[in-house]
Amino acid sequence: MEKTIKIQARDTSNSKSIWSSSLAFILMALASILTMFPLFWLFSSSLKDISEIFVNPPIWVPSTLHWENFRELFVERKFGIITWNSFLLSTTSTLVALIFCGLAGFAFAKYRFKGKKFLFVLVLASLMIPHEATMVPLFAMYKNLNLIDNIWGVILPDLANAFGIFFMRQYCMSLPDEMMEAARIDGCTEFKLFRRIVLPNLRSGFAGLGIILFVKQWNNFLWPSVILRSQENMTLSVALKALEDSNNTPYHLIMAGSVISVVPLLIIVLIFQKQLIAGMIEGAVKG
Amino acid sequence: MKTPKWNKQLLFAPYLYISPYFILFFFFSLYPILYSFYISLTDWNGSGEKHIIGFDNYVQLFGDKTFWLSLWNSSLIFLMYVPLMLFLGLIFASILNSNWMVGKGFFRMALFVPNFVSVVAVSFVFILLLNTQDGLVNSILRSIGLIDNPIPWLESPWWARISVAIMVLYRWLGYNMLLLLTGLQNISKDLYEAAYVDGATKIKSFFYITIPLVKKMLLFCTVLSTIGTFSLFTEPFILTQGGPLNSTMTPVLMLYTESFQNFNFGYASSIAVCFFILMMVISLLQMRIFDDKE
Repeated sequence: MEKTIKIQARDTSNSKSIWSSSLAFILMALASILTMFPLFWLFSSSLKDISEIFVNPPIWVPSTLHWENFRELFVERKFGIITWNSFLLSTTSTLVALIFCGLAGFAFAKYRFKGKKFLFVLVLASLMIPHEATMVPLFAMYKNLNLIDNIWGVILPDLANAFGIFFMRQYCMSLPDEMMEAARIDGCTEFKLFRRIVLPNLRSGFAGLGIILFVKQWNNFLWPSVILRSQENMTLSVALKALEDSNNTPYHLIMAGSVISVVPLLIIVLIFQKQLIAGMIEGAVKG
Repeated sequence: MKTPKWNKQLLFAPYLYISPYFILFFFFSLYPILYSFYISLTDWNGSGEKHIIGFDNYVQLFGDKTFWLSLWNSSLIFLMYVPLMLFLGLIFASILNSNWMVGKGFFRMALFVPNFVSVVAVSFVFILLLNTQDGLVNSILRSIGLIDNPIPWLESPWWARISVAIMVLYRWLGYNMLLLLTGLQNISKDLYEAAYVDGATKIKSFFYITIPLVKKMLLFCTVLSTIGTFSLFTEPFILTQGGPLNSTMTPVLMLYTESFQNFNFGYASSIAVCFFILMMVISLLQMRIFDDKE
């Protein structure tokens, strides 16, 4: 009886809702065009001459593609080293943060130790301290430590990541205790246990967190713009803002620079989109 | 433990594993935030001597129109985009949650893309698009006859706030849609079928099944957006520099201007402390919401 009702319900809704489903499809397509459009405009403007940027009627696709915008960035504006800085910064901070968060998450998930509950509450509480509120004292500290205009100054504070610990703890919970016990009985040391069992078994967790941290660090702007000063130390976001000029802002170069900062990330995210989306949702909902 | 041989390692390993985090936390979060409290009680300008001046900075801050305006601006921007974002997010999520929809993966990604693309890059594109005289948006609106005079998107206080709100909506709609989509996926399909059998229309089941069951998720998105709106920095910084007439000034932008442009470190720290307290209150609220869910 129940089964027939279900089939019936599905049938009618199928035949009846052709109109509403095509309407829904059009709505989604329209929304997607609107969200993709600024990116299209970014790419199109990056290949324009400065004189073609603000014109009426607008130029959708420039008739001559001005690839020299990119050449100028790399040859005269040091975008080679700037891109490398972004890459180095994001990779290093992501890898180290993954190890630290993985270790701590594993400890909170799978060990019993004195003060565990209290320390974990402390981790959660630390989520409440916004980076922005610590900028002034950190800046003062950095002056003494000679970390101003130093890429390590960007990396260091972000290695302490409460969100990452929480995230990895969720994943480590799923490891069966028996597997670890068996390894211990076979004479495996605790650190080997982490390397040989936790790391390979939680690949998807590490990939998810890794891609989130990488994206975040690649696009990081406020703190790097406070401490990075000289062109050869800048990251892409900071360098884009630095191209601005009160008299004559070279928007064609800013657009080309934006393409340089957007494309690598687009490629990475398209490859790892499943991990990114799953990770962001998991992190938000459970964190 | 069953295997006493390992006791020693089992005892030390966890402390060793969590120590990097706590060391870094101490140096880069806890100590700075406490130091922030201290600086906020001084007249420090970043290089000279610090003189303790008590709560003068706070007295000045509470009398500072710009500070109250920054909170007011954030609230206005919040009201401009959050209801729209949740409404659209829920509609898009419902569409992506139905089994007849085609191209779900593509649409999900297309709407989510703005969230991970560099906000600096996107802000500059919006400057081009929203330029009053020759921006694409105004020329399209004019050519289809919707407006006669160009809209001063970034040059009048109200339009500037709307522009910031549009950009925030652009960046966060897809993300909130995904959160709501996970909420929807937890609702059993049987509920809808039962409602259909009982004669409920689609719109009715949307209001009587979908909305009540994702209420918690909507609330959660609202809290996240509250935190996000008060912390807004890059969008107003690049689009409008907080102007015109401070109409897009936000607490974090004010903190940045006072500290790293005007070098009033003491005064800026009093903003930082107030901002920290505000964020703490919102986060505690968020924890409350999630506590009674479990």
